[in-house]
Amino acid sequence: MAEDLSLNGSGNEDTQKDKYLTFHLAGENYGIEICYVIEIIGIQSITEVPDMPDFIRGVINLRGKVIPVMDVRARFALPARDYDDRTCIIVINVDSTEVGLVVDEVSEVADIPENNVEPAPRTSKNSESSYIQGMGKMNKRVIILLDVHKLLFSGEMQCLTQTDNDEE
Amino acid sequence: MSMHLDDDQIEIIQEFVTESRDMIEQLEPAIIELGQNSDPETMNAIFRLFHSMKGSAGFLEFDHLTRVAHAAESLLDLIRNNEMELIPEHVTLFCAACDFSKDALDAVETSFSDDAMSADADKISQDLHQAIEGPAAGIDETERVDADTLQPPVSDEPDLVFPEMEITEEMRNSFVQESNELLQNAEQGLLAWGEHPEDSDSIGDIFRNIHSFKGNCGFFGFGHLEKLSHQMENVLDRVKSGSRLAVDNPTEQLLASLDLLQQGLNHIADGKEDFIEDLDSHLEDLKNLMTPLLGDLLAEEGVDKLAISSAVEIQKKPVGEILMQQGSASAEQVAKALKRQNESGEEAKAKAKPVSRSKVPAKRQDIRVELGKLDNLINLIGEMVIAENMLIHNPDLKGLELENFGKAAQHMSKLVRELQEMAMSIRMIPVSGLFRRMIRLVHDISVKAGKKVDLQLIGEETEIDKTVIETITDPLVHLLRNSLDHGLETPAERTANGKADKGTIKLSARHEEGEVWVTIEDDGRGLNRDKILEKAISKGLIEGDGSDLTEKQINNMIFAPGFSTAAQVTDISGRGVGMDVVKRNLEKIKGKIDITSKFGQGTRINLRIPLTLAIIDGMMVRVGTTTCIVPTLSILEAYRPEMEQITVTPDGDELARVREHFFPIVRLHQILDKKPDSEQLCEGILIVLEYQESRFCLFIDEILGQQQTVIKGLSDFIGNVPGVSGCTILGDGGVSLILDVGTLVESFDNKKVLADAAAIHKGGK
Repeated sequence: MAEDLSLNGSGNEDTQKDKYLTFHLAGENYGIEICYVIEIIGIQSITEVPDMPDFIRGVINLRGKVIPVMDVRARFALPARDYDDRTCIIVINVDSTEVGLVVDEVSEVADIPENNVEPAPRTSKNSESSYIQGMGKMNKRVIILLDVHKLLFSGEMQCLTQTDNDEE
Repeated sequence: MSMHLDDDQIEIIQEFVTESRDMIEQLEPAIIELGQNSDPETMNAIFRLFHSMKGSAGFLEFDHLTRVAHAAESLLDLIRNNEMELIPEHVTLFCAACDFSKDALDAVETSFSDDAMSADADKISQDLHQAIEGPAAGIDETERVDADTLQPPVSDEPDLVFPEMEITEEMRNSFVQESNELLQNAEQGLLAWGEHPEDSDSIGDIFRNIHSFKGNCGFFGFGHLEKLSHQMENVLDRVKSGSRLAVDNPTEQLLASLDLLQQGLNHIADGKEDFIEDLDSHLEDLKNLMTPLLGDLLAEEGVDKLAISSAVEIQKKPVGEILMQQGSASAEQVAKALKRQNESGEEAKAKAKPVSRSKVPAKRQDIRVELGKLDNLINLIGEMVIAENMLIHNPDLKGLELENFGKAAQHMSKLVRELQEMAMSIRMIPVSGLFRRMIRLVHDISVKAGKKVDLQLIGEETEIDKTVIETITDPLVHLLRNSLDHGLETPAERTANGKADKGTIKLSARHEEGEVWVTIEDDGRGLNRDKILEKAISKGLIEGDGSDLTEKQINNMIFAPGFSTAAQVTDISGRGVGMDVVKRNLEKIKGKIDITSKFGQGTRINLRIPLTLAIIDGMMVRVGTTTCIVPTLSILEAYRPEMEQITVTPDGDELARVREHFFPIVRLHQILDKKPDSEQLCEGILIVLEYQESRFCLFIDEILGQQQTVIKGLSDFIGNVPGVSGCTILGDGGVSLILDVGTLVESFDNKKVLADAAAIHKGGK
C-alpha cells in the first residue's frame, strides 16, 4: 500500500522545482512542496501518546522507524471526520524531522510555476493563514500552498518543544 | 619527511599520535603515583613512555616534542639512579611535560608538524633543565640535551634493560599487541618488496617496523627476539644501502624469520619466556645472507684501510680496479679477493637454504573501528530483532500447522539473540580508562586545595557501554571535585577530629541488580543536614521547617540547580552547578543516584546505571485496547487486590495495603485517557512498582506477558512525554509505549488535578 515516490529533499533539485503534492482537506485543495515529501501511506493504526495537543494523533511504525502523526484537520481546527480508505498519511521530512500528516485524500503532483503563485492573504483574524505560503492557481482551481515549517513548528507545537527545552 | 607527506607517512604519524596518546593516558596516573611511592617499576614505566615518545618523535622529526621528552627522560634518569631526590615539583614538571605532549600531539594531528609548539617546548624543557642542573651540577656532558644529536632509541638500548624490572600483565599485553601490528606491517612490506624489489620505500618501511620491534624487545629484555630482529635489521640495512646479498632476493628468508618472531611473540603472549628454537642456526642463516664486504676481505689481504675507505667513497668503478690504479693493491690481491667473495657467495647460497614457511596465526588482534559504524550495526541489529518478531509472529501464520517453519524460526531467534548480545558486548569497554583519568584530577585538586588524599580505584575491569562512560565522565569529575573540596577536611581539621590526616576517596564500579553501580565514597565531613535545610528554606525549595522530610529527601536537595551550601565559591567548586549536571546526565542514561551520608563520617554517592541503553526486559500490560510496556526491573510484584485492601483517604487518594505497607494507587487508564475494562480495582491487577525509594501501585486490566524490547525514542518532534520513556515496536508491527516509572506518579498527579479540581494535590511521593 506504500507508494514510494522516492523523492527526498536531497533529490534532484531541478526536477522538483515548482512541483507540489496536492491533497484534499474539508473540500479545499492544499499543496506542499514535493521536496519535503518522502512517501504516502494508507492510514494505519496509530498509537496514542498522552499529554499531546489533540492534533498530534500519536505515533506509527514506518518500517521500524517510529514517527509522529499530525492530523491536519485538527491542526486547522476543522471539524473532525472519521478516517476511511481514502484517508492517507503523507510522510514528510523537514530539517531531518519526519512527521506523518493525516489528510482526507491525496490527489496528484501538480506543477505550479512561480508566477502562478499569489502571496498569502493577510487575514489577521484567522491565525491559520500563517501556515500558508501562497495561493497557487491551476486552471480554475486554487490550491493553498502550505509552509511546512510553520505547519510543524509554529503555534502550539512551538510551546511544546519550548517547554521541553526548558526542562532539559 | 617534513616537506611533502604521502598517505603512508600520514598514516605513520597518525599511528604515532594515537599510540603516544594511549601511552600518556596510561602513564599519567603512574606519574602522580611517583609522588607517593617511587618504586622502580613505575619509574621505569614512565621512563619508557618518554623514551619511546622521544624515539618516535625523533624519527618523525618532531623536534620540539623530542626535546621535551628527552629532557624529561634525563631528569627521570637522574632520579632513577638516585643521583637526585624526587621532589613534588618534579611530579608537577612531569605532568606539565605530559600536558605539553598532549597539546603537541594535537598540533601534530592537525598540521603534521609541532612547530607551533616551539615556545611552549622552550619553556618546559628549560624548566626541566633547571631541575636537572639545579642540585646535580656534575652530570656528564653527554646527558645534556641537544635535539640534533637525538637518534631513534637504538644506541642507548643497553642501559635500559633492567634485570630487576617487573613486567606486568598489562605491559606484556600492550607489548604483544603492538608487536603483532609491527610484525604484520613488516610482513606486508616484505611481500610488497618481494614483488617489486626496485621499490626502496618499502624496504625503509620494513626496516622501521623491525627496528621498532627490536627496540620494544630490548625494553622488555626479550633477548632472543631482540637478537633475531637485530640480525634481520642488519640484512635489511644491507639491502637498503644497495649492497649485494648472497641471494638475489632474501624475501623468503626474511619472511621465515618474521614467522619465528611471531612464534616467539605468541610464546610471550602465553605468558612464557621469550624463546626461539634453534635461534643460533637462524641467526647464522641470516648472517650467511650477507656476503662479507669486499673492503673487509681486502683488509685481510693486507690492503691499507684508509685507502679502502677512500676508494669506497668513489665507488663508481669496481673497487678492485680503483685500488689497482692507485697502486694500493696488486692485481693479484684483487683477483684473490674477488675469488673469495664469489666463493663465499656460493657458499652462502648453499647455506641459505630455502626455508619452508609455516604460517603462525597471531594470538589476538584488535582493530580500531569508527564508532559510527558500530552504532549503525547495533541499530541494524535492533531493526532485525523487530523484523524477526514481525516475521515469526506474523498474523498471516495464525492457526497454521507449520512444524518446519517453527523449527527454522526458533533457530533464527536464537541466532538473532546471540547477534544482539555480541553487538552489545562490542560497545562495552572497561571503566579503567575513565577511572585513571580521575587520578590526575584528584592529584591536581588536592594540591590546589591543600588536602591530602588517597584515591582508591576498585573494579576497574568492570565493563560499561561506551556512551554511558562518556555520559558519566562529567558527573564523576563534579562528584570528585565536590568530595575533595567540600567533603574532605584539611589535614589539620582531620587530625583535630581524630581522623588520619590523609583522607580517602574510593571510586568503585561493579555489576549489581542488572545495573552498573559506580560509587564515590569519601571519609570527609559528610553532608550537613542543617545547612542544607537552611539553604533550601532560604531558597524557597521547601515549605515549613523541613522537619517532616526524610534524610533522603534532604540529601537529594543538593541536586537542585544553583544549590550550594559552600560559604565560599572557590575556583574548584561551590557554584552549585556541578550536582545539577550530575543529575541531568544520569537522567539521560536512565540512571539513578543514591546518596548516603553520615555527618562527620563521610558521604557515599552511588550512581546506578542500566547495563544497556538499547534493550530492556519489559512486561506487556493492557488497559482497554492499549498495550504498554513496564520495565521489569522496577516491578516488585503484581496481584489482584481485594476490596478490603483498598483504602480511600478523605482527599480521594486511593491506597493499597501490601502486607505492612500502604502504597498510593496510580490508574494507568487515567494517564493514558483510555477506557479500561473495569474501573473497579478488584477486577483489575495492581503492579507494585519501585522508583528510587518510593513505591506505588499501577492499576491495569491485564498482564499480557514478558518480552525483550528494543527501546526507540519518541520522535524529537514530540519531545519528552511525562510518564513515557520511549516506545517499542511489537511483533504485529504496532507501536507500544514504554512507561517511565520515574515520572508516572507525577503525570498521574497532573491528570488528577486536571480531571478532578476538587481532589487535593498531594498524591504519593
